[in-house]
Amino acid sequence: MSEPYYTNAHQNQVRRVIPELIRSRELLMDLVWKDIRVRYRYASMGFLWAILEPLFMMLVLTFVFSYLLNIRFDESGITFDATSILAGLVAWQFLSTSISAATRSLIDSRNLVTKVGFPREVIPLSTVGVACVNFAIGGLLLLILCTVLLEGFLHPTIIFVLPVFLIQLVMIVGLGLFLSAANASFRDVAYMTDAVLLFGFYASPIIYPIDMVRKTLVDVDPLLYKLYFLNPMAGLITAYRQALFDKQFPDPAILAWPLVFSVVILLLGAYTFRKSAPTLADKL
Amino acid sequence: MPIIEVDNITKTYRAERGVRVLLGRGGISSFLRGKRSGEVTALSDVSFTVEPGESLGIIGANGSGKSTLLKLIAGVTAPTSGGVNVYGRVASLLELGAGFHPMLTGRENVYLNAGILGMRHAQVDAVFDQILDFSGIGDFIDYPVDTYSSGMYVRIGFAVAAYTNPDVFLIDEVLSVGDEEFQRKCRRRIGELREEGKTIVFVSHDLGIVNTLCQRVILLSRGKMITRDTPRKAIDFYLRQVGSEKGIHTMADAETEAIVCDGRVSLFHNHQEVTASSAMHCRVFSLGNWHESHEADWEVIERGPKRCVAHGRYSRVAGIVVWSVALEGDTLEWSIALECEEDSNVERFSAVLLFSPRYEQWVYDEETGVFPGILPEDMEWTHVISPELVCNEAGLIPEEGANLPPVAMSIQGDHPAMSAYWANTDYMTGCRALRVDAHLAEQGEQLSAGRHEIMDVRVQLDRPKEALIEQGQRRTLAIGPLGARFERGRISLTYDGEEITDSLCVYASLLVGNLWNDSQTLRWESFEKDGDRLIFTGASRRFPFRMHWELYPADGALGIEIWLEALEPLDVQEHHTSVVLKYAYNRWERDDEFGEFAEIGPECTDWQHVNANYAPGRFAKATGPGLPTVTLEADPDRLPLRMTFINTDHQKRARVLQALRSPEHGALHFDTGRHLYFAGHIGVDKPV
Repeated sequence: MSEPYYTNAHQNQVRRVIPELIRSRELLMDLVWKDIRVRYRYASMGFLWAILEPLFMMLVLTFVFSYLLNIRFDESGITFDATSILAGLVAWQFLSTSISAATRSLIDSRNLVTKVGFPREVIPLSTVGVACVNFAIGGLLLLILCTVLLEGFLHPTIIFVLPVFLIQLVMIVGLGLFLSAANASFRDVAYMTDAVLLFGFYASPIIYPIDMVRKTLVDVDPLLYKLYFLNPMAGLITAYRQALFDKQFPDPAILAWPLVFSVVILLLGAYTFRKSAPTLADKL
Repeated sequence: MPIIEVDNITKTYRAERGVRVLLGRGGISSFLRGKRSGEVTALSDVSFTVEPGESLGIIGANGSGKSTLLKLIAGVTAPTSGGVNVYGRVASLLELGAGFHPMLTGRENVYLNAGILGMRHAQVDAVFDQILDFSGIGDFIDYPVDTYSSGMYVRIGFAVAAYTNPDVFLIDEVLSVGDEEFQRKCRRRIGELREEGKTIVFVSHDLGIVNTLCQRVILLSRGKMITRDTPRKAIDFYLRQVGSEKGIHTMADAETEAIVCDGRVSLFHNHQEVTASSAMHCRVFSLGNWHESHEADWEVIERGPKRCVAHGRYSRVAGIVVWSVALEGDTLEWSIALECEEDSNVERFSAVLLFSPRYEQWVYDEETGVFPGILPEDMEWTHVISPELVCNEAGLIPEEGANLPPVAMSIQGDHPAMSAYWANTDYMTGCRALRVDAHLAEQGEQLSAGRHEIMDVRVQLDRPKEALIEQGQRRTLAIGPLGARFERGRISLTYDGEEITDSLCVYASLLVGNLWNDSQTLRWESFEKDGDRLIFTGASRRFPFRMHWELYPADGALGIEIWLEALEPLDVQEHHTSVVLKYAYNRWERDDEFGEFAEIGPECTDWQHVNANYAPGRFAKATGPGLPTVTLEADPDRLPLRMTFINTDHQKRARVLQALRSPEHGALHFDTGRHLYFAGHIGVDKPV
């Protein structure tokens, strides 16, 4: 007997995820494009806003941190400038926008999910896809800005951001799947996610350098410093900065935990999502 | 191998969303205290298979689990237990345009929506033109869909689903949206898909569509599969099993069973359904819209073993439709009234009786004929009888081998403007239809408050077929090769079975108060047969007179005597009796002159007398190449008449032989009583 095109027996099998996603890759791309097109459709400058928005933000931040706040870190002997902040910010925004959109994605696409059968993973993944596009734009602007501001910035070692990005992407996909499925059953999840993200922003070395954290925490208790790195974003942002500004492959010790965390969360997310996917439509 | 396997599935829902219980004032506190709202079982232990190319209907009352079943097959949600296997790509028309994004253009949405239904871009490219064509959206395709009307939205949604070429189609009540034209298009497309061998699973409340579209029907009740059978049997079962509900009542007597079900009366004879599709139902026309009786909310007020009274209330029509249905032996009496608590806007009323297509011959008063076949391209009803005519006795004769009784109907109604006709319905409905129309109020006028008896329809299932056929031929006179048939105020003539008269046939008309009163517009209510003589009596709806037509064979010709009975003194400006012949007649001849009929070109907008002098005469004759000669003869001794020939206007394009009577001065005065109007005969001879 040949393989059925659809059977409910497969619906919650985790090993079916990959083939099903390959089968619906065009749909995934369509949904990503839909989101991007729809966002700027009625603006007269259209897609330009996708570039102008982060550009404007970067310029403001550069101004604020270079000329108003830069002094304080200099006094403590740690070098930290606007480009470092922007690097951290772009990486953080990739996480925060994709996670908060993915968490709500199933509810937002309730129309589709409750009416048509297709691999449900496509929905949160498409929001991650949209965030990837934004991340690419932000990253590109950052590179241009750095090239302008920093002498000798462009260096082949920039390629080392790629493994870091992959680890972050894996983590985001895992979190996105897990949280979107959880949010379908418990609508409180979306609000909790927002709160945790807000906390995470300050708990990650974005607007302050990691050296400052070390200085402060190691003095008190070295264990606290280790605990700080339990936040995978701490390691990831530090790794991004090492690849970008220190022109070296990120410290494997720093990347190890985020890597483990990402893989675990991806498996967990994919598993949870698959298990709840068959009856998602009933919960929306 | 089946294409869909549904194996023992059960589906339960929690009556809640998220944690928060939606029923009652549940919340975090009741959740913590462990209060859970109950579970709803939408389906339990349902199993069936569908073979490729099969069309399966799912019927059942609201909440019986039809839509859940469709969702399970579509893979929208998984069953709580059991298995669903589908061996092919599924397109669900669960909701048209689901997943359309209002800000995207029609074109972008087509690709997106097709993608959601599992199509690749290249596949959509291939059918895009067909989608565009079917939807009729035109240039709007490149506008955002939030500029679309709701009709366009639905059209493009259906077009995408209908052309994405899936193996299995799931259709949920989509045919109830859009205008009639679009619905027809959808039905045709669904018909095509079925022809193409696609598998269709169809959910509908419209039992008629289910009956024609589906090969097998599943009946669900409260989540359980009650039966899976042929549409006819499943629908019968459905109508019976829900027999205790408020809008439904079943009666049986002799060999007949009648089921009154939410605005329909279905008739069964020896367990065979005589009616079909929506069976016997009615519709009211109010404020520009027709409202079908099954759209109303029905309640059976009185119940008896052989009688019931049902009330149908519309949400948008002022007034209650009251049906009294009684079954006595094999005769059903169906009385329809309208009760208005206040003045109502109901203008028109129709009773529609749909019968099995296995009836092949119709009887309409004393006429009869054979229904044409119902073809797949029939999108509209095909009239068999002109819709303006009035009929009191109608009948149906089944084809050979159909296990159906002959049907005799009689229609009684006091409404002056009542008409009835036989028609074939469109292909999807696939029925023989008798429609009776009553005009209750002119446009803009109100129907006064109170009870209005509209019509009584009696349906008899025990009349012998021979009696019906005899009835259908009673108005026909055969005089050698000449056949004359009286059809409500006109006589159609045949020679060797060939029609020689044109659409107006032989008719009479009199001018009263500057209004022509054609014999066809009279109410032909009585008919007698006196030996060879056929006597018809018709009354004017407008003026106080009646006409008596007497037809008889007279030496191989058709003898005609027409009498005018004035009920009050009547002034007639002029009157005539005319024979309207086919255009092919090209020569005319009378007592003292002859000539040729002129061509009737598009410039001829009025009727034109052909002979200059139309003095009183004895006969008027017309000939044509290869056509039998037709002679209208009057008897000048009894009543002198002027003989004249007329070319009609371009639209009618016919030749007229006319015996005219006009006064020298003033008007012809008829006192109360019977007066001779025409006496003579029409002879038809072999072609010269």
